[in-house]
Amino acid sequence: MKVYDVVPGLEFEPERDFAQSPAWFLDGTHSVPPWTPMFGWFWINFCRHGMQYGAEKLSLPTVKGWDWRFHRGGGYLTLLLVHSEEEKQRRETEFRKAILPFIDNYDELWGGYVKEILGRYEKLKALDLDKASSTDLLDNFEETINTCRRMWEIHMYMMYGTYTAYILFENLCRELAGIDDTSPLFHNLVSGFDNKVFQVDRLLWEFSKRAREDGLAEFFLGSKPAEIRGRLQESTKGKEFMKAFMAFMNEDGWRMQRMSEMNMPTWVEDPTPALVNVKQFLQKGGGFNLDAERSKITEQRKKAEKEVLAKVPQEQRGWFGRLMLLAQKSGVFSEEHDHYLDLYTHAMMRRSALGLGRRFAQKGTLNEAEDIFFLIPDEVRRAGINPDQFDLRYIVDRRKAEWQEWQKTPNPPAFLKEGFDMDMAMGVLVQSMDPIALKVVVGAMPQVRPELKADLYGTCGSPGVAEGPARVILNEDELHLVEEGDILVAASTSPSWTPVFSMIKGVVVDRGASLSHAAIVGREYGIPVVMNVFEGTAKIKSGQRIKVDANLGVVFILNK
Amino acid sequence: MSDKWIFWFEELGTGDNDRVGKKCANLGEMTRLGLRIPPGFAISIDGYERFMAETGAGEEIRRYVQENREHLKEIKNQIIASKAIRNIIESKEMPPEMREELFRFYDQLKERAGDKELSVAVRSSGAVSMPGQMESYLNVRWKESVLQKMIQVWGSAFTTRAIAFRLEKGMAMEKAPIGIAVLKMVEAKSAGVVLTVLPTIGDLSKVVVEGNWGLGESVVSGEVNPDQFIVDKSDGTVESTVNRKTKMVVYHDGGTITANVPAEIQGKPCVDPEELKEIVRVAKQVEDHFQTPQDMEWVLDRFQSIPDSLYWVQARPAKYTKAKEKESEYLAELMTRMFKR
Repeated sequence: MKVYDVVPGLEFEPERDFAQSPAWFLDGTHSVPPWTPMFGWFWINFCRHGMQYGAEKLSLPTVKGWDWRFHRGGGYLTLLLVHSEEEKQRRETEFRKAILPFIDNYDELWGGYVKEILGRYEKLKALDLDKASSTDLLDNFEETINTCRRMWEIHMYMMYGTYTAYILFENLCRELAGIDDTSPLFHNLVSGFDNKVFQVDRLLWEFSKRAREDGLAEFFLGSKPAEIRGRLQESTKGKEFMKAFMAFMNEDGWRMQRMSEMNMPTWVEDPTPALVNVKQFLQKGGGFNLDAERSKITEQRKKAEKEVLAKVPQEQRGWFGRLMLLAQKSGVFSEEHDHYLDLYTHAMMRRSALGLGRRFAQKGTLNEAEDIFFLIPDEVRRAGINPDQFDLRYIVDRRKAEWQEWQKTPNPPAFLKEGFDMDMAMGVLVQSMDPIALKVVVGAMPQVRPELKADLYGTCGSPGVAEGPARVILNEDELHLVEEGDILVAASTSPSWTPVFSMIKGVVVDRGASLSHAAIVGREYGIPVVMNVFEGTAKIKSGQRIKVDANLGVVFILNK
Repeated sequence: MSDKWIFWFEELGTGDNDRVGKKCANLGEMTRLGLRIPPGFAISIDGYERFMAETGAGEEIRRYVQENREHLKEIKNQIIASKAIRNIIESKEMPPEMREELFRFYDQLKERAGDKELSVAVRSSGAVSMPGQMESYLNVRWKESVLQKMIQVWGSAFTTRAIAFRLEKGMAMEKAPIGIAVLKMVEAKSAGVVLTVLPTIGDLSKVVVEGNWGLGESVVSGEVNPDQFIVDKSDGTVESTVNRKTKMVVYHDGGTITANVPAEIQGKPCVDPEELKEIVRVAKQVEDHFQTPQDMEWVLDRFQSIPDSLYWVQARPAKYTKAKEKESEYLAELMTRMFKR
């Protein structure tokens, strides 16, 4: 029997795919290290679907979303451009109407989707996977597939609309008030808002206070990450603490340790990463006050709002103020959607797949439950109702071997057709006017200013200056290595990194734009972030003293 | 001319605008809505006209204007005219009958307020919008000073700008549709305004409360940086901005002065959460009644506690950016243009 491609119909094939587009970019934020086959199947199929759905529902004038291909565990993307002027005009007319819900009823729009998707999760979670019939398990898996598909529709429709408003606000700030998105005043303007991710962070901080009050601090501070949970179970107070903590996990812990992958435990299964966050708060000492830190930033924002509004002519303040409100919401959305959409859905995918995986392992279809991540849905369906009749281990063996190979050699940052270079490829991205490409993927290009004698040149993600030891973190597993006062150096960051932002003094990321995770969270915590330095993780070594001056967008390595 | 020229606020409502001026009619309407307003009464426009007729001031003004009509185009003469007319009015004594009736109300007010040492605000209440500020006098004590301040309020209908305005519009010079509100001064712990809309962006989902220690004048005039609380109408969440408030307006010697706020309360919020909640609750209720966003002034009495301490001195439709639909279309247009290069 033939073994399928990992993502049938969407594997990268140079001959045909270069005919469609001369440049395909690796999604380094989400697909490094390489995905497991099942996760890759979900992402390539549905992120792709969601982007095209969102672009179409909004009728974006210049772009019809992105196309995606799978290659050795990496996701490669290219833009679907609108070519004819006539079509652009037709889409403009539609867009003018389609964007109105974002302007008029943003909160209802987003709130409605959050409600819808949370409802779907509740339904999925209602099934007791270990008691369910195989048919019900398969059904739950099919519903999970539909949920993932729907999640990406909501995700990309909301993201396109929201970021469009944000970009307009940036442009107008430049024109009307003379400030751009790399200016500290601008950053003050869009920070100091609460969102779901911070609420979770805040609860973790509350738990750290409780641990201190209950005399449990030692269990945290004196243990390795994996031991904390066991140590807590040794005392009555510790047991009570864990009970409350697990209740909190069941509420808010449906998230992945690695945002875009499903082969690592959720916080509900293994709360270690969350307990490490508590430990990190404990390390800050009792004087630390998260609320006070955050309210300071809120104050700054209000001051910035007044200052900026004062620069805008009186008669234009009405709509400008509304646009500002919308732009401010996009920062909230950027953070919050990860919690409600990506992280939660991926946790649901893991839950449902593992339910089937355990059944398959019992029936001899697979050796162990986690092997299911090396199958794709069609193969799962084959054995779904009668797992005892099928042996899928040969597929897993082969795919696992391939997957291990993928880990050894990194995927190239882009596939370019002969005669096409990276600059030309970037030009196409910019030309597309695609709001997501501009604000998350590409970002502003750094200006090299030799007179500053800096080691790295980037752009300002969040203003400020800081100096301290560098901590280079390449993926989420290493986050527990971060210590108070470090300057974090990474390729990019995602929501599972948020809690360490309260410990660090600054951030350097290889890639990023003003709506990237690092920039948004850096602004909320009031620490400097330098983005788009490209070679930060290559040039900086952990332990080196570095100075970041985000106002100038530069990094100095002090002891080379 | 009707005989009755003094009214308790509860006798009045919005329909009495032309009789007692906007402020008094509004205070009457507020009483009807069940809002706690400081006890007091209104002097009608008839009262003004009766005073002008009985004292002869009206005739004198008419004569003065006739004699000087051609010079009045020039501003410097308008300034002179303003002084002359105000002199005419202020030089007149209150006619005995009017005086007696007023004192009768004043004594009853003392009883109503339960305060023998009553001090009152004497505020103008114009029936039409008139440029140029008409005067208001705060912290007035003793009957005689109330009389005097009333006459001064009437005189203040003849500021230079008001004269210029009447000339321009061809209005009769000696006519001034001005009523007066006489109401008890609340011993203010703090005071301020509340709007049931964010005026800058027309966000109807929020209530904004601004306040300072002492009397509300410092907030209304925009002299200080007040505390600001933005309250969400649906879930009641509050976004507070507590500013360092160094100055406040307080009573002093039959008037008011700007004083320093004691250092220990400068950085403290001037309303507590319970007070804020009550202010917002009442403001929302008034908004519901009128079906339009409100701009209201509140005072918290230092000798009482919430809800009894909360007094209202003003309620009117809020001015805010209304052109929401137009703005939406405009924003959509700007977003569309973004995709063009």
